[in-house]
Amino acid sequence: MAEKLIGTDIAPPDLIAKITGRARYSEDFRPDNMVFAKLLLSPMPHCRVRGVDATRALAMEGVIGILRAEEVPSREGPREACLTDEPHYEGEPVLAIAAITEEIAADAIEAIDVDFEPLPFVLDPLDSLRPGGPTAYTDGNRFARAPDAEQGDGPVWSDFKWTEADFAEIDAGRMPSDAVAISNWDKGDVDAAFAEADLILEEEIVHQSVTHHPMEPRTNMAYWENGKLFAHVSTQSAQRTKAAVAGAVGIDQEDVVLIAPYCGGGFGSKIAGTTPMQIPAIFSRKINRPVMLRITRYEENYVGRARPGFQAWVKMGFRSDGKCIGIDLFIVEEGGAYGSGDNGTAGAIADLIYTPENMRFRAVSMYTNTPPKAAQRGPGGAQIVSMLEPILAKAGRELEVDALQMRLINAPDPDVAFGPRGSTLTSVHAKEALEQGAELFDWAGKQALSGRREGTKVTGIGVALSPYTAGSRGFDGLMVIRPDGKLYVHQGIGNLGTHSISDTARPAAEILGLNWDQVEIVWGDSSRGMPRSSVQAGSQTMHAHTRANHAAATDAARKIRQIAAQSLGGSPGDYVLDNGRVFRRGGGAGMSFAQVAERAIQMGGEYDGHELPDDIHRETVPAATMLAGEGLMGVAKDNYGGRGGVYTFVAGFAQVELDVETGVVDIKEFVGVTDCGTVVHPRSLGAQLFGGCIQGMGMAMTQKWVYDPKYGVAFANRLYTARPPGFLDIPLNMKWAAVGIADPQTPVGAKGIGEPPVGAGAAALTTAIADAMGTCLCRTPLTPDIILSELEGRDPAFGRLDQHVG
Amino acid sequence: MAIIRDMIPAFELFQPNTVDDALALLDEHRGEAWVLAGGLDSYDWFKDRIKRPAVVVDLGGIEELHGITEEQGGLTIGAMTSLTEVVNHARVQSDYSLLATAAEHVATPQIRNQGTLGGNIAQDTRCWYYRSGWPCYRAGGNTCYAAAPKAMNREHAIMGASRCVAVSPSDTAPALVALDAKMTVRGGGSPKDHDAEDFFIGPAIDITRMTVVKPGDLLTAIHIPAVWANAQFYYEKVRDRGSWDFQLVSVAAAFQVSGGTITDARISVGGVAPYPVRLERVERLVTGTTGGESVANEAGELSVQGARVLRHNDYKIPMMRNLVRRAVRSVA
Amino acid sequence: MDLWRRALDPWGQDVLIGVSWDLMWAAIIVAAAFLIGHAVWIKTRPSEAHEATEVPAGIPERIQRHSLASRVFHWTMSASMLVLLVTAFVPVLGLQFAWVEIHWIAGVVLTATIIYHIIHSIGWQDFWSMFQIGFSEGVAHLKHIMSPKAPAPKAGKYPFDHRMFHHANVVVGLGVIATGVLMMVRIDTPFWTPNPYMLADSTWGVVYVIHGLCGVSLILLTASHIYFALRPEKMWITWSMIRGWVDRDHYLAHHDPAKWVVTNGAAPPSVTEGTPRAAETAEAEGASPEARSASE
Repeated sequence: MAEKLIGTDIAPPDLIAKITGRARYSEDFRPDNMVFAKLLLSPMPHCRVRGVDATRALAMEGVIGILRAEEVPSREGPREACLTDEPHYEGEPVLAIAAITEEIAADAIEAIDVDFEPLPFVLDPLDSLRPGGPTAYTDGNRFARAPDAEQGDGPVWSDFKWTEADFAEIDAGRMPSDAVAISNWDKGDVDAAFAEADLILEEEIVHQSVTHHPMEPRTNMAYWENGKLFAHVSTQSAQRTKAAVAGAVGIDQEDVVLIAPYCGGGFGSKIAGTTPMQIPAIFSRKINRPVMLRITRYEENYVGRARPGFQAWVKMGFRSDGKCIGIDLFIVEEGGAYGSGDNGTAGAIADLIYTPENMRFRAVSMYTNTPPKAAQRGPGGAQIVSMLEPILAKAGRELEVDALQMRLINAPDPDVAFGPRGSTLTSVHAKEALEQGAELFDWAGKQALSGRREGTKVTGIGVALSPYTAGSRGFDGLMVIRPDGKLYVHQGIGNLGTHSISDTARPAAEILGLNWDQVEIVWGDSSRGMPRSSVQAGSQTMHAHTRANHAAATDAARKIRQIAAQSLGGSPGDYVLDNGRVFRRGGGAGMSFAQVAERAIQMGGEYDGHELPDDIHRETVPAATMLAGEGLMGVAKDNYGGRGGVYTFVAGFAQVELDVETGVVDIKEFVGVTDCGTVVHPRSLGAQLFGGCIQGMGMAMTQKWVYDPKYGVAFANRLYTARPPGFLDIPLNMKWAAVGIADPQTPVGAKGIGEPPVGAGAAALTTAIADAMGTCLCRTPLTPDIILSELEGRDPAFGRLDQHVG
Repeated sequence: MAIIRDMIPAFELFQPNTVDDALALLDEHRGEAWVLAGGLDSYDWFKDRIKRPAVVVDLGGIEELHGITEEQGGLTIGAMTSLTEVVNHARVQSDYSLLATAAEHVATPQIRNQGTLGGNIAQDTRCWYYRSGWPCYRAGGNTCYAAAPKAMNREHAIMGASRCVAVSPSDTAPALVALDAKMTVRGGGSPKDHDAEDFFIGPAIDITRMTVVKPGDLLTAIHIPAVWANAQFYYEKVRDRGSWDFQLVSVAAAFQVSGGTITDARISVGGVAPYPVRLERVERLVTGTTGGESVANEAGELSVQGARVLRHNDYKIPMMRNLVRRAVRSVA
Repeated sequence: MDLWRRALDPWGQDVLIGVSWDLMWAAIIVAAAFLIGHAVWIKTRPSEAHEATEVPAGIPERIQRHSLASRVFHWTMSASMLVLLVTAFVPVLGLQFAWVEIHWIAGVVLTATIIYHIIHSIGWQDFWSMFQIGFSEGVAHLKHIMSPKAPAPKAGKYPFDHRMFHHANVVVGLGVIATGVLMMVRIDTPFWTPNPYMLADSTWGVVYVIHGLCGVSLILLTASHIYFALRPEKMWITWSMIRGWVDRDHYLAHHDPAKWVVTNGAAPPSVTEGTPRAAETAEAEGASPEARSASE
């Protein structure tokens, strides 16, 4: 296709509003009569509410009402409700109060006496696995169908425990090889591979849990008008959030108006909205007034989700040339109060980037009384990559194979098949990314710096490869050319700040021969019509919605040509589209799009949306029907198809200086090169790549949760104590590049970029630090205390597998 | 009473124009008044609703507390002078770069614009047990949760603790101790000058305060004597993040060097005790030497003698030892 | 006035953490009122009629009342008690200094002296001379307080009021020591890592309250003890705690030779002859070898 708009830097349509502060987020709306809700949070990690005395609170002037757990939807088992009388983590919302001002609501919360009965709790999944150890739920630590369950039986609670013998292995620093796993798969013969291997490395791994910390907390406002719920939600997605709100409140999707034009970040914690979004929706129905629930930074820390931590054991076998031939990986995952499943992706990604041919994967995810876990940018992949890449580099040192060579020899080729089901991919250019990055980073030249000591500073260099899923298929595109001659692209994806709302519309403009200023993006308000879309997560939208918009624009182009042919003669194939006009090839008669739109409305039928394709999703139909008659409609399902998963790869390179007297790491240089197919928006791609890598640097270096083990209460609950990276933690010298080879199975050639940079940023650092230290610390965060204790040969001030240490 | 955070409760605000008025207000509202400087410590407390004074006396409008003046050959810095002003002041930069460097290591530019020198040295500890509103000794209770056998005490004290193991969070405090600064405190009687090292008190003396400033008193000025002007300085702060972070350990040192020999020294370490620790034995050790590698090593070892670690802060021993070493090595 | 100090524990639940310092002020005020009241009362009280006592034979000029060991114990204990009180309460009064270490070290000294005293008094002293009830003596004592005309009862080695003071001290002292020893677990000493979690928060609250109540009671007891020790008419007792002996006049004026047998020489006083009581109350520690043999 013509490359007028693809691959250029175009400012997104919301840029000025964001810079000037005019952008309105959920908390910026103030309908008449609106009241503020405040939450009463559980003070303990596991307890039961025995009684609530809200008499004093409800008697306060300005207090409008109270919302209790029994008034909100809840389900059996470890499933989260927006309010609960049996909290399973400190900070879990118990009840809400509404008042005419937020100050009064806060005072009212303080005036409530709640009788909490403390219950046993567990913070570390290993404690829950230990015989006799506490469990996160009163009835056990596993909620699943019993092995002897009959058909129709639901899941039940049980105690899932390892044996004393398993813990004897763990305490001796070994993988508990006989321990029972909850999920497992294997391929090849890993034991035979180890028997053959020239080098076997075994390591214990601790990857801390880290909070998402989006800039905008999950604030929501809702009100009801004429039987419809108007929901202002802080959410990553849009059309799918509308469905989620409807499902949570128990109403028809078409009775929800979702207003979410802006979202200040989510990183996977607000995919289809959030649990707290239910509170204003239900509360406003109860008290018949708009309810604003502003989530504070403190509350966000608890209800705002976190990446699950891993405690794991790994054994990797290598041939003398550096090829990894066997991996035995056993992950214990901290599931938080409501469970998580990052371990599955972690296992698959380990297989993908080391291509071992023989692999055994086992994992256990345990409920813990810690804040809920959720997908966080590169879930599972980021953790495992940052922990395993230093081991690869260590193997290289022992086998005397250069770390880049190690990385290349183990990287996947396009024909890779990986994971439990032997998954294939649409395109793989990982080696090209590594090679391009090596050049940009001057790997060959930097080799000499590895291990060089100047004064108290030792240089380390690292390379890492981080893949992640980056696309999906089969969604719908919806657009209208109105009589003003402009193309209105209706986006059902969210405006997360990734510029997907505009960048995925570019193929439509390209196909329709429009200049960018002839395109309007319609987003953020479901009452304006949203097609069935992917969630704004998993780096899907760039791939999924360039396809969907490509399909809808192709549909529109077909209709335009038909109208032109009908109006001006000739066959549709004689007509070309350019600059907002349709005209006969080689000159001659033409029509403006404004005229085409008028004509489409006159013609009706499929032209203006009164007839819709049969294969579009039923959720697209109401939006398209609403827009029917507004102009020429392009509407279609992405039927381009494809085989295999869509993955983007990022190769990360880092140079660090480690001060051996203080344990402080100074990141001198970072290079990230991605294989994400065709580059649609270079500046935005660079921002995503850097942003993700920096997020990974924070994960590797500074971020963590800290709990007091006696009370199970979290401490690192402020930005300054949770420590996401700051300005001075970012290397001045950062470069990025893209391989730029189009994915052959998607018409635009573009794959997503959101997820994989996190693992690349983190792993390049953990690897570079390991290089500087000449050893391998498979642990995050690598704060100065941990590094210094290791360098000084002191007893580390925590157990090897301890999570959440201060 | 249910706990709620992130919402400042109402208080009565006073904005006096003179120190006398401020003192009168503090006297009038004794027991319920809170002194507000830059607010970076105060608002945290208020937001969490843990400290909830009925009356707040904002010193921001008191002209006499602002600015840096030359006095007796040294400098007198008004307590309400912003950290940015301290960092950028020509005389501070030229003669007392130790203080400029230390002040520049505070938090972030935004916080330094708002934060004051007086507030920085008089701020409360950041022990997260205490800041979370737990009824610890410092909060008037009878427990140190941070010293419990499995407590999260990576940031806590390795010396000078007495029941409470919290550390002094101030970045400028060690520098002011090294510069032999005097803090002027005004209360009911006549103004009183305190040596910097006596200004900061440990929990053994008063477990609920970190400085000699009593309720009703005001820290009005910090005087830096001429004697340490243009000495040879060394400052280093180790923190988890490159910005917006309190120190794990920091060192501030001033050396008078003549012909390569240290004729006098003042060395202070932050982040290891409830107050900036002055290392007098180390100062005596290095005085008369040229500060070479072996003296530095000896100084480092001497500095950590008697340190007692908690469950998670053993690393502070090598960190402090190494920073003191580096400070002494910097002379040579 | 608050009696207790309460706080919200880390889970926001209300817990007891100790006695209110108001109680300290109350104790100081009560102590001061009692001392002033007593001084005034004594001043206005008619002088007592002392009945002339016949000097029984064999009473030595100086009567050993407290052995050197007893006196060393007493003064060590007093010193540690004073240090404990000063370190406990003076900082609350506003004079701040590093009191904790001094306080616990003094507490250890006190505990050691008390342990010594208990063993010593059971094994080597006449334990029951202190622990006899002496009900009739008490009644007589009360009558004497009410009216100077009623004669003060003559006591054994330890008069009724001394015994009562001692009993109060036993209760309060053991309370403060037992709780104080427990509290040592929570502070940083060279011997162990502090452990605030050995007992539940609510139990610690009770421990602190007992320590506080006993401590505050000790303000009262100690103030009155010092006061009486310094009163001119009681100075002879104070001197006996310094010198170890009382002179015969005071002995005869205040003690019943039958209850506190001190005869020095061959002939025991007739009044006590053959009574088992005498043997019970005769004190091995206080008496000379001769006296001991006499009473045996």
